[in-house]
Amino acid sequence: MIFYEDVSEGYEFPILEKEPITRVQLVRFAGASGDFHPLHLVEEFAEKAGMKIIAHGMLVMGMLSQGVTSWVTRKNVQKIQVRFSKMTLPGESIQIVGKVLEKKPDNTVVGEVLAKNKEGEVKVSGIFEAKLPSR
Amino acid sequence: MSHVKDLIGLEFKPYTMTVEKGKIKELALAIGDDNPIYYDLEAAKKEGYAGIPIPPTFLQVIDLWGGMGSVEKMEKLGLKLARVLHGQQSYEYVGDIVAGDVLSVTSKVVDAETKTGSTGSMDLVTSENQYRNQRGELVAITRNTIVHRH
Repeated sequence: MIFYEDVSEGYEFPILEKEPITRVQLVRFAGASGDFHPLHLVEEFAEKAGMKIIAHGMLVMGMLSQGVTSWVTRKNVQKIQVRFSKMTLPGESIQIVGKVLEKKPDNTVVGEVLAKNKEGEVKVSGIFEAKLPSR
Repeated sequence: MSHVKDLIGLEFKPYTMTVEKGKIKELALAIGDDNPIYYDLEAAKKEGYAGIPIPPTFLQVIDLWGGMGSVEKMEKLGLKLARVLHGQQSYEYVGDIVAGDVLSVTSKVVDAETKTGSTGSMDLVTSENQYRNQRGELVAITRNTIVHRH
């Protein structure tokens, strides 16, 4: 468990490396989440929209949240907010990086969290807040 | 859609759904999140939960399986599915949510505007959902912004 005293502003959390996203994973995620938008599943639909099949933004946010809950325990997370900036394609490997932006006197830690591909392109960027226990 | 601002205040039909242990496991597996608290009651109890907790983004499951699907929702908003993308999402966790809880959700459009950028104009529509458990306690608030390209 990580304590409030363990981190300082600018502290970088350990990187979470995810496996490459597969088409099967998108099907699995569609069923799990209930998001059956054809852009994630049907080649012809994507082509008609002038695009390629893309991963669900919420799958990448799920990975981003996994990163956050690998750094601070799930129970301490109070808020996660993200912006989806780039589309993610099957085959891409996502890594989750984060750092402490601010420590508040009430034990709240505000952090930055980014989901990037191997080339460093930011797919989803966010801010999280967690209330950490004191030693 | 020319009067996207008219959508502000639009309320979606409320919905209720039980948080199912199997759906928690299914979502965690799809994400590839191996945190034992989502699979094992003992591990969850060790972290102070009364039951198996939900992963941070699980409320999406309640929305899509308990409420309207994205296809119906876009119809209700008068937006074209093929032109819609997810822009922003926020989750605020007010209380614990664990397997077996029954969540009741209210959802409404809180902001809508048209913006013009380098790639043309687009509508941004933000809805806010509030989740209450079987004891009537507010346990989570989420905000979702969708981008509708013209």
